[in-house]
Amino acid sequence: MQVIEKTRWSGLKVALGMPKRKVIERVKSCGLTGRSGSEFPTGLKWESMAKERGKKYLICNADEGEPGTFKDKFILDNNPKILIEGMAIAAYAMGIREAYIYLRGEYSYLKKKLERAIRESGPYIEGAGLEIKVVLGAGSYLCGEESALIESIEGNRPIIRKKPPFPTEYGLYGKPTCVNNVETLSYIPLIILGKWNPNLLLFSLSGDLKNPGVYEIAAGTTLKDVLAYAKPSMEPKAVYFGASGGCLPYKLFRDLPIDAKSVSENGAILGARSLIVVGQKWNAAEISKVLSEFFVHESCGYCTPCREGNFRLLEILNRMCSGKGENDDIAHLEKLAPHIRDTSACALGKVSTAHLLCGLKYFRENFVELAKGKKSIGLKEETEKCR
Amino acid sequence: MVNMERLIKNYSCGEITLLEIFEEIARQDGYVSFDKLNSLSRELRIPLAKLYEAASFYSFLPTAKQGKYIIRVCNSPSCYLKGSKSLIAFLKKELKIGLGETTKDGRFTLKKASCMGCCDKAPAMLINGKLYCSLNKSKVREILRGLK
Repeated sequence: MQVIEKTRWSGLKVALGMPKRKVIERVKSCGLTGRSGSEFPTGLKWESMAKERGKKYLICNADEGEPGTFKDKFILDNNPKILIEGMAIAAYAMGIREAYIYLRGEYSYLKKKLERAIRESGPYIEGAGLEIKVVLGAGSYLCGEESALIESIEGNRPIIRKKPPFPTEYGLYGKPTCVNNVETLSYIPLIILGKWNPNLLLFSLSGDLKNPGVYEIAAGTTLKDVLAYAKPSMEPKAVYFGASGGCLPYKLFRDLPIDAKSVSENGAILGARSLIVVGQKWNAAEISKVLSEFFVHESCGYCTPCREGNFRLLEILNRMCSGKGENDDIAHLEKLAPHIRDTSACALGKVSTAHLLCGLKYFRENFVELAKGKKSIGLKEETEKCR
Repeated sequence: MVNMERLIKNYSCGEITLLEIFEEIARQDGYVSFDKLNSLSRELRIPLAKLYEAASFYSFLPTAKQGKYIIRVCNSPSCYLKGSKSLIAFLKKELKIGLGETTKDGRFTLKKASCMGCCDKAPAMLINGKLYCSLNKSKVREILRGLK
């Protein structure tokens, strides 16, 4: 894997010998895009940051909360120094002296390791005139969104900001701020050295597999070829793209390349490249119920469609899964889910029903048999008492 | 007990953020109490409502008293497929509490949690920030025994 190559700080040395403009130019021309799932061109973001004057910040977004994603943890755990080198180069190119790594609360056990790596890299990052601080999150999915993350560091309730202005103009403490993903920043040293292969992508594979884990996959590889290594533990039924990407049936997706285009052409979203392989024995409604629980728990409560809508969806799905389905349940789901998608205030709300929409599209019979109310899949309603 | 003076001093000189003050309080007391927020509000001259609205947002910053050990079982689809549901049922039976409840002796609180990025070693749980993965019933029983 290219991302676990041991750091010798040569990327930083080369970058420091180049004019700042040239560094940005190189990142721009190689076509690196945000690896959090947004696919925003990194060079463009850097370019608009470099234009800003005065104090500015760099934030490394290490808050990968998307269920089924753990590629950033893999980098932080195995090769934190390549990330630090990437941050030092980014800071040099944009003229930044203060940087944060926002580490998610669930990864608190990695904080010491990360801080040690920063200490050990001291001379190098000081050479680039940079100071890096690790801030620990406290268990909120929403903080993976850049403006919520900024609010969180500022000590406010992390509600997503209205855009524009974008963080590159008005970010942390009102100053221009560049927020980049762990994987994105980790590729920077390799790009500067001309060793980066844009066709190799990190995927997190989990679910009903014998060999789950982080895989580096060449662009254009089909799902079937990947699963030959990951080895399904039972006949696969569907692949879910994290919580917010929806799903595709295995039969349809088997021979297609795993890329954003072929996934979105079939109505799902690839996002942060997490594939959760679901076996034949599961009912799609049950998986949707689990994902609905997640969104009910993580909805920030700011806008009504996401807060109330997901709550109602879960209510219906709970009822269906416990054998008390009613005939008009599917009609309710089909009315509510697109409504949440179309009217939620932020991107997280808009994708919160993708799993259900895809589930209804491809595995309708699963929902129909439950709506008849005859079959129970042995699920009792389990709702945690409100905080 | 939390050394509030030190935390406030560190905050005032910009060494730590408000979020880190909350986390430190939660780490030492187990939760962020109203009293602590009140005294923070007075010292920092930040309205109590603003502190409460920030702290109460996060799942890792409970604002009511919790058990000594907070058990958070991952409920992401990857862990679900690997049996997190029966793991929760087992913990409920073993600890004789429901989700979100605390045992009578005040030792354990049981919660469902969002994905903790351990999907390749599912099912997983966090106990006071420590990660346990590839769990099964006998492993959980052993872990609980170690904590009692």
